[in-house]
Amino acid sequence: MDTATEKAPASHRDKAEALVSLRGIVKIYERGGEQLKILDGLDLEIAKGSYEALMGPSGSGKSTLLNLIAGLDRPTAGSIDIGGKRIDQLNESQLARWRADTIGFIFQSYNLMPVLTAVENVELPLLLTKVPSSERRQRAQTALRVVGLEDRMDHFPRQLSGGQEQRVAIARAIVNDPALIVADEPTGDLDRKSADDILGILEQLNRELGKTIVMVTHDPAAAERAKVIRRLDKGQLK
Amino acid sequence: MIPLKYNVRSLTVRKATTFATGFGIALVVFVLSASLMLAAGIKKTFASGAREDVAVVMRKGSDNEMSSSLENANVSLVSAAPGAKKDTVSGEIVMVLAMEKVGAPGVTNVQLRGVTDAAQRIRPEVKVVEGRLPQPGRDEVMVGQRIHRRFANVELGKSFELRKNRPVTVVGVFTSEGSSTESEIWCDLDVLRGSFAREGSVSSIRVKLDSAAAFDGFKAAMEGDKQYGFMALRETEYVKKQSEDTAAFIGIIGTLISVFFAIGAMIGAMITMYAAVANRQREIGTLRALGFSRRSILLSFLVESTTLALFGGLLGAAASMAMKFVRFSMMNFASWSEVVFSFEPTPSVILTSLTFAAAMGLFGGFFPALRAARVSPIQAMRG
Repeated sequence: MDTATEKAPASHRDKAEALVSLRGIVKIYERGGEQLKILDGLDLEIAKGSYEALMGPSGSGKSTLLNLIAGLDRPTAGSIDIGGKRIDQLNESQLARWRADTIGFIFQSYNLMPVLTAVENVELPLLLTKVPSSERRQRAQTALRVVGLEDRMDHFPRQLSGGQEQRVAIARAIVNDPALIVADEPTGDLDRKSADDILGILEQLNRELGKTIVMVTHDPAAAERAKVIRRLDKGQLK
Repeated sequence: MIPLKYNVRSLTVRKATTFATGFGIALVVFVLSASLMLAAGIKKTFASGAREDVAVVMRKGSDNEMSSSLENANVSLVSAAPGAKKDTVSGEIVMVLAMEKVGAPGVTNVQLRGVTDAAQRIRPEVKVVEGRLPQPGRDEVMVGQRIHRRFANVELGKSFELRKNRPVTVVGVFTSEGSSTESEIWCDLDVLRGSFAREGSVSSIRVKLDSAAAFDGFKAAMEGDKQYGFMALRETEYVKKQSEDTAAFIGIIGTLISVFFAIGAMIGAMITMYAAVANRQREIGTLRALGFSRRSILLSFLVESTTLALFGGLLGAAASMAMKFVRFSMMNFASWSEVVFSFEPTPSVILTSLTFAAAMGLFGGFFPALRAARVSPIQAMRG
């Protein structure tokens, strides 16, 4: 926390409970026989209920870091503890299961299934749970209401604007009530107005619903909206 | 589980490729289904009209009636055998006639049967539907409906030559409930004998038995006396033997052709599915990121390729149903004569065809599905 820029005083609970805890993270990729050290002994703690922006130049390792926190990738060395679970020790299928239970994803290009309607897209993560089908539809509709898309439930992604697509993606990210939301350049493909809307929704999710959010962004205006900004350079947090 | 509608709609989005691939599979299934229908039609044609309580007596060692020859005097011997009904014993001569086909070059064999009035007593299903029965001793014939007008002058009122300078007139057309008899020409036994100098002999003797159960006793009596050299078969058994080879031949040829075609169609399906997987890397990565397992991705793409193949299969099977209205004439290997068959759509033919289609989808889709399952969830993050 000492390397981070604190914009707002963290609550008592935040300090007491770290949701994400990374220790000595090393990530090495091999490309053409050459070893690329992307992350080099990185430590990071993210408190429960925090909203953090990860910034840094291209190649600084921020996407790699986000992939590790989200359980999409595994570190070469070091430990990742999220909500008391060592996810660096999980195998692939356990990790998939864990992602379904724990992580809500927001992608730069929204990544909606083009052949499914808004509400069907939002339902997708619930198909991995034991929620009965009638309740699935209800919960998906509630999530779409939260992002203000109650009148676009049966639209296909191609019938929506970029900002609306990203809102559907946010609804999909929260429908499972995940412990952690990871957002990868969530406003990267949007105009200023839509970007502001999206950032407003993320802020609201953090403030009103207490969601912990980690966001990678290039956009200083987006980073400003987070509670904490962390800067990454050459595999180290500054 | 990834919902089925995801796959079905993904197929409908790429209409052109889906249709092209489905059409390839449809063609294969059409060929398979049509040949299986034909094999079923052949079996049905021979099996219909055959009876458990009718015995066919031939010379021992004969493959069929044509290659068998018995003395005429044996007819009374057979009627005296235990289990035989006295007035329904029919000595018949069977031979083939090379005839010119209408609308096609060359000649084809047609089966000719010389009969007495006992023949119809054994086969009550034989009914004259046009004209009349030939009269005993006159140069007249009646022809089965399936070959009526298919051969030169085989037409009601016209004449053709049984052999040189022995013209006969077609006086009747008959049916026999779709059995192979409908591909025969019938004339009076003595007329036939006179024409071909076969006085005093018959090819086979058909006999109605007291009951189906009487066959074993009848057979024992007929075959017991070695000096006569008789062989007795149930009519059902005899016709089964007559159709077995032909039906198997069509079934095997059809299946072989289908298998070769299927390899082509399967490669088509494989290319389509590989393209689908390549185009949907990010979608698949996203599904993986959301927590869907490799196995459910594999399954989902297998479902997609199988759905595609089943769509093609249904198309092909439906098209093959139209073959029901087509008559197909071919050589029956047992008698070397022309028999006309129809394509017979049975539930098992449809089931086999669709199973075959599904198998094509499964095998063609397997490697693409495996590739899909190997897509990393990190693909979701790549713009």
